[in-house]
Amino acid sequence: MSGHVKNMCPQLTISQAARTLLSLLLVAAIDSVSAGVVCRKQPCGSSLQRSLKLTKLIHKESVDLLKTYKLSQGDMSELFCQMSINNVPDPNISGLDPSERMLSIYSHCKAFLPHLKRVTEQQTDLQPPSSSLLSKLSTAHNRTNGLANQINCIYQTLFPNLPIPPEPVDGPTSVPPSQNVFQQKVYGCVVLKRFKEFLSRVTRELRTLKSQVCTRRTTFADTNALF
Amino acid sequence: MPSLFFCILLLGLGVTESQASGLAPPQQVRLDADKETQTLSVTWEDGHASTFDVEILRTELMEMVLNETVGVTEDQSTGKHQWNWTSPVPLECTSLSVKVRSRDGQDVSEWSSQQILPGLDLPDNTDSQMYPEGKTVPVGSNMTFCCIVEEGQQFGSLWYKDTLVKENMLSRRTYATTMTNQGPSNPSGTNVVCSNEKKMIIAGAVVFVGYPPLPSDLVCETHDLISVDCQWSKGRDTYLFGMTRQTYYTLNGRNCPKARNSNMRCGLEQWDGNWTLVARNLLGEFRLTDAAELGHRVRPVAPVNLTTPEVYSWNASVGWLWKDKGFERLSLICQVQRTSHLNSSTQTYTGYGLNTVVLKDLQPDEKYSVKVRCGSQKNFWKWGEWSLPLSFQTKMDRPVAPDIWLWMDSDNLGRVLWKPLTKSESHGQISGYEVILWSPEENSQQTLTLPRSVYSLPINVTDRGSKVTVTARNPAGVSLPANIVIPRYLPGKNGGKRVVIPRHLPDAEDTAISKVAFNGSGFPLSWVAHANASCGYVVDWYNTSCTQDCNVEWIKVAADNTNTMVQSGNFLAGVRYKFSLYACSSESTVLLERWHGYMQELVPSRTVPRLSPNQEGADVQLTWDQIPLEHQRGFILGYTVYLTNASHLTLLANITDPQLTNHTVRNLVLGSYKFTVKAYTAAGEDGGATVSISLEPYTYWLIMEILVALGTMTCLLIVITIACYRKRKWVKKAFYPEIPEPKLPGDWGITQGTLDVKPSPHSMVHIVEDSVWDSSKEALVTVPEEDEEGTGDEAADTDEPASLRYYNQVVEEGSSSQRRPHASDSSASSTGSMDSGHTDVTYTGIQTSACSLAPMAHFQPQPDASQCVGGGGYRPQMQSASCPEEPQTGPEEHLQPPVGSFGGYQPQCSWKQDSPEADGDGLDQTCLGSPTSVTSSQFLLPYDTSEEGKEYPSSASTWFHNLLTGKP
Repeated sequence: MSGHVKNMCPQLTISQAARTLLSLLLVAAIDSVSAGVVCRKQPCGSSLQRSLKLTKLIHKESVDLLKTYKLSQGDMSELFCQMSINNVPDPNISGLDPSERMLSIYSHCKAFLPHLKRVTEQQTDLQPPSSSLLSKLSTAHNRTNGLANQINCIYQTLFPNLPIPPEPVDGPTSVPPSQNVFQQKVYGCVVLKRFKEFLSRVTRELRTLKSQVCTRRTTFADTNALF
Repeated sequence: MPSLFFCILLLGLGVTESQASGLAPPQQVRLDADKETQTLSVTWEDGHASTFDVEILRTELMEMVLNETVGVTEDQSTGKHQWNWTSPVPLECTSLSVKVRSRDGQDVSEWSSQQILPGLDLPDNTDSQMYPEGKTVPVGSNMTFCCIVEEGQQFGSLWYKDTLVKENMLSRRTYATTMTNQGPSNPSGTNVVCSNEKKMIIAGAVVFVGYPPLPSDLVCETHDLISVDCQWSKGRDTYLFGMTRQTYYTLNGRNCPKARNSNMRCGLEQWDGNWTLVARNLLGEFRLTDAAELGHRVRPVAPVNLTTPEVYSWNASVGWLWKDKGFERLSLICQVQRTSHLNSSTQTYTGYGLNTVVLKDLQPDEKYSVKVRCGSQKNFWKWGEWSLPLSFQTKMDRPVAPDIWLWMDSDNLGRVLWKPLTKSESHGQISGYEVILWSPEENSQQTLTLPRSVYSLPINVTDRGSKVTVTARNPAGVSLPANIVIPRYLPGKNGGKRVVIPRHLPDAEDTAISKVAFNGSGFPLSWVAHANASCGYVVDWYNTSCTQDCNVEWIKVAADNTNTMVQSGNFLAGVRYKFSLYACSSESTVLLERWHGYMQELVPSRTVPRLSPNQEGADVQLTWDQIPLEHQRGFILGYTVYLTNASHLTLLANITDPQLTNHTVRNLVLGSYKFTVKAYTAAGEDGGATVSISLEPYTYWLIMEILVALGTMTCLLIVITIACYRKRKWVKKAFYPEIPEPKLPGDWGITQGTLDVKPSPHSMVHIVEDSVWDSSKEALVTVPEEDEEGTGDEAADTDEPASLRYYNQVVEEGSSSQRRPHASDSSASSTGSMDSGHTDVTYTGIQTSACSLAPMAHFQPQPDASQCVGGGGYRPQMQSASCPEEPQTGPEEHLQPPVGSFGGYQPQCSWKQDSPEADGDGLDQTCLGSPTSVTSSQFLLPYDTSEEGKEYPSSASTWFHNLLTGKP
């Protein structure tokens, strides 16, 4: 019997730990569902700085990506980006206050993702498997997704009472229907060009937001500390 | 009513014509377009003919595209006629109108109703477009592209790749161009774009131009005796990429999804014996076949689980397993590759189901890595894959005997040397050496144990003929002994660098040494076989310039060899090595031959020492010493001597004898010289030693030359003097013949007055006496005009000689003593005229001698001096005299009767050589000539009877006169 009792205690301990862990996981899951991602609490300045660095990196890579793209599309491809294409996200960031502008950044990141994916798919059929363009497109897609998550976390941190709308605030920009090869080339060029312009604007916007939002919050915190 | 009638008439005529031909027009003409293939299908009914005329036009511009008679049979099942036409222009470009009529020979039916295939350039389709888009065509094909311009825009241009091409207008909005013989496109296709009038791209298309697949070399084999693995070569690049355009492969009807890029292989689970590979892309397909029996295509997989069941010092066994049991029942041939730090070798083994081999000829205490691969011994196809490597280490064994040598530093002191044992010789870690010194005279031995880091032992060789034994020891045991006998004979005078010197080559050290050249890998040495080389030969070498504790290396050569290649990693460029060949016998070691050489000759590292110049008159001898051996860095081939002028070197000599260390530079003029001497080897000259020397006048020689010249002149004068003295009578007769004294009749009256004579510009005196001689003119005395006028105006005029004024008065005796000797020049020249006056002889050309003109020119600018000239008034054949002490005295004084005993006119006896006292610059006034009579050509010698000659005993003229006259 004694042995039986001894065997019971560990089971009890394990079940309690499992329940605790399960509870934590449920809380985290709920939190992530509400925000889309699991965010870590970080100071305003450092999180924005981190996003700013990531934005700069993606922007730098987007310049190279566009250059590589044009080189991969054959003759006259320099002029492809000048053609007009509908349903490609606008690079401009909208909104009046910081929360709206940050939400616009997030929405744009999300909006560009399907287009980047579509361009990657289209170019996979046009480039040899060893082409560096394919790997760069894939990298840009992944980094943009990461940037969107970071912006989401910052938004939740700075504006905890403002919900993130499920759809992009600037309106849906669905990927185009089937395109012929020439249209694919033009489409990819326009997408990457606007993507580059968007990242340039995000870089400036994050600098501004860092100086505006984080300074104000620090001031508020100091004021609260006095009382 | 009339019109109705006309219509009925026409209708009637038409019916009449149709009925006349008997052919009904095609009915229900229908058009079906396959735009992908640009094929137009035309079907119609009720055409009972088998031949039809088809007419196709571009609807908008009504341009004829096709007008052709075709044969079309009726489809019995449907009762329709169908005719297909492939348009060279994409069917989307513009609308086409088609009509058909039946034909039976020359009879034709009416045209069917016109059917229109609408294009995409209709007004309701406003966008810009370009066709065809995304087609894949073979390389070399022709294609027509069309651009439909957006409504409201103007067409600009068409571009194929980056080339502007010429277009044709198909319709209001459609423009087309045809590209011929297209080349392969890049992976993303060839772009064809259309721009508007603003050069903005409005539409574009992509065409993929490539090749159909063309694989080759299909080979199928088995690795496990069950399945099949087929491989082939991709062949020509298709230039087509992407899911739809890439090449797909099937093997015996099964897809090969892994056959991508360069990995052209596909497998089947069972051996079929026949295989067909089909490669297919949008442009075509290609088939390859292969067939073989299973046993002929065996390529085993790599053996696994290699082990070494037994490992010894010199051999080991290696075993492995087969993953597939089938190989255990197959005759195999296997290769075992073993690799050590020394080398790598491969051995082949065979056997039925081979899985163990024995490796022989291994090295003790050596690490080996082995790997195995096998193939089918029967119907060998290919070697299988190498197995993973297996490492093991052999056991140790006792070392080999050391290689020893004896090196004498002096007659009695030497060193026993032995080479460190290499890894392949030590057979394990060497723990130490043991040296045994045998002394046969004392019948004793001395044993020394030395650590493994010692490779020499100093010995005092007092007992000649003793023996030294060296052994090496490692954990596995002791090596065989290495012996060397200390020779009984050692050199007397050349000890130190030599082991022994044979009796028959007592002086070989310096005389028998020869050069040997490095050939890139070593020093090749060859020699004549020696009878006493019972145990072979030994060649040792060392740095020649080494003086103490030299590093000695040696090699041993078998007795049947008479040449070797001396190689060492210690050879350095610019170092002279001396090689000695010894014959080895049981009794002693005999020196046979010596060489020296350089691995690479360099220029000397220093200049010649002690370069010094030595002046030898006009020559300079340069001497120097030889460059020390360690600085030569090559065989000195000679020296070059340069004359250094600033930075420029002038080669003076090239001394090709390296033993000659001096050089004489000859015939140099006075000055400073800088000489550079450079020694040179085969690699070039050294930097050069420079020395300077300043050549000074050779004083002693100069003095000697002057003395010799003076002595010679003195002797010559003495000889001349003696000769003249002995022949004085002849000389006197020749130069001073006796002239009879003129006898003057009566007394000469003296009339006072002057006679002005103006000399000719050439200083010639022309005096023409009247036939009636004026006896009152006792003498003519030259008086300068300025003396009378008392002005110097005339004297300043140097162009005209001074006018001479002659006083026809008798010159008093002694007046000449107060006059300068040169003042008598004019008188001397005129003496002849005076004389001629007495003898009625006319002198017309007495040239004033140099000795007489010089004082004239000298005195003319000086009025004071002119008095002297004036003092030299016309005194024919008067003895010259010095000027008065006071030159300021007036001409009146000159007119005074001369004081002295000179007795007036004395023809040919009053001339006298100008005395040095008359002028300070006596050398310039030296007169070597004497006035001569034009007619007689004889010297006018002064008469010697007067007392005046005694007044100037020291004058040269007097002396000479006395000499000639024989007076002492």
